[in-house]
Amino acid sequence: MSKVTLGVIVAAFVSSAISFAAEKEVSTFAAYVDSDVCARLMLGPITPQRIECSQKTYKDGSEPVLIRLSNNMILEVNKEKMINKLVGKLVNASGELRVNNGEMKLQAVTPIEASSIPAGDPARRLLDVRTYRTAGAPEIYEKIRHQLAMMPYISEFDFISFAMVGNDVILSGWTVRQTNRSDAQNIVKNIAGVGTIINNIDVLPLGSIDMRIRAMARAALQMSLARYFWGSGSDIKIVVKNGDIVLLGAVTNSGDKDLAGIRLNSIPGVFHVFNLLQVVSSSKKG
Amino acid sequence: MFTPGKQNRSVQLFQIAAVLGFVWSASCTRPTQTASSEVASSRTTTNDTDGQQIVIKKMPAGKEFSGFLKDYSKLKPNPNVGENALTFVRADEQKNLHKYIAMIVDPVQVYLASDADESKLPDKARGVAARYFHNALVGAVSSAFPAADQPGPLVLRLRSAIIGVDVDGEIPAADKSADSENALDRAVNIGKVGVEMELVDSETGEQIAAMVDRENLGDGAQIGAVNFSRQEKYAAAREAFDGWARRVREFLDSAQELSSDDAKRADQSYHPYGEPEK
Repeated sequence: MSKVTLGVIVAAFVSSAISFAAEKEVSTFAAYVDSDVCARLMLGPITPQRIECSQKTYKDGSEPVLIRLSNNMILEVNKEKMINKLVGKLVNASGELRVNNGEMKLQAVTPIEASSIPAGDPARRLLDVRTYRTAGAPEIYEKIRHQLAMMPYISEFDFISFAMVGNDVILSGWTVRQTNRSDAQNIVKNIAGVGTIINNIDVLPLGSIDMRIRAMARAALQMSLARYFWGSGSDIKIVVKNGDIVLLGAVTNSGDKDLAGIRLNSIPGVFHVFNLLQVVSSSKKG
Repeated sequence: MFTPGKQNRSVQLFQIAAVLGFVWSASCTRPTQTASSEVASSRTTTNDTDGQQIVIKKMPAGKEFSGFLKDYSKLKPNPNVGENALTFVRADEQKNLHKYIAMIVDPVQVYLASDADESKLPDKARGVAARYFHNALVGAVSSAFPAADQPGPLVLRLRSAIIGVDVDGEIPAADKSADSENALDRAVNIGKVGVEMELVDSETGEQIAAMVDRENLGDGAQIGAVNFSRQEKYAAAREAFDGWARRVREFLDSAQELSSDDAKRADQSYHPYGEPEK
């Protein structure tokens, strides 16, 4: 082996070791302890309504996660018991951050008061309702909505949501396909006028139990509520994660919403059904 | 976009390592017997390096198709994929590509050219070609159809075959790998190879989509060593297999596009959670 080749290999190992060590650096930041369900749907500020959502859905079985206040990034943690009594509260969290995976290896968590975050600190972004009232330009919002609606690999089992803060876009939701996570980000990135993008879309594992629940849930809903399903998609979205079902989308009356919940609650192995179907008039649905 | 540089560099390095590992495993794993239900057009049997019996399949002389697919009758030219591709996509409301979210990728079958002398074809090279193409297929489709480990109502099965593999001349001693494990006496010629693939329901076996791809990507390409994927002189073979796998993904992407009616309904139906009032 030539000296040059050997040098390249050594350099690669050193570089790898340095970057691996760098990734293990401990970060400390202000965060909100949320439930996974609310974190991926309630993309606005920390209001009393959101706190209520966090605590209720956590109690119903949604796993606790951290929301980094400075940028609304959702982080799943390795030690849930360190934060499960703090759902709905603000904390200072320390640990190893794995940004690309949306994960954090927690080392310490301390409750804090909102007043302890100085004015002007980026972490105040999620605490200030006024920030979130600065909605993005309606035409950009509509372009994003339309482009995300046209994504070809979206199925009944994916729900992608987004919010705009000024020109910044927060993508969120759940998908069973990695390509939807990256495609959504690329689509939004290419829309003129969009600023920073935070991608909180969760790629769901395809474990055999969840797969069985998905199949049974779709079959049950198709049998009772067939008009909401069509060849390549549906008005009703069935998000299945670790035995829980989050039901999203829209139906035209509350009877259908209740029927969907009853059908899914009767599926063996389902821990909890979060029935978040919206009831909208058929004229509004188009 | 929130992507700190340190993580990017780290991820890139791990990606390089992963690619190297992938290439290594593609060229070094030992051949395995492939499950097959279809009738081979030639049933000569031989033993591979593990002593396992391999059924050698051959493209029937004078026929348009190999017989690998369950059904050829619905195939039609598809300009979205290219002029050398025939495809079929099932349009059934209940059973179509959109109704599946995961995939089992079956081991790749190898069909020899009609006039190939199978007695001269090295089994281990054929196995290596099949495994390389299998890995390329998995890499090309897995972000859209993640791998499933068991059949189910939401799971497709991808069956594929490389058709028209031929035997090439003896490899000169100077070009032979010094490592006997990797050495081949004769090269495998993939210059006239095409691909046949189909997606079937993993539970019922019904055909959901299919493609016969005759795009000649392997012109002049050959496999002259078991570890061909790591040797620059066989780059053409690697590129050909990667190219066919990419075309399978392009076919899936085009088949997945929404019809105008579905696009209209999807557009009306989609509202982000907590959408602001208009």
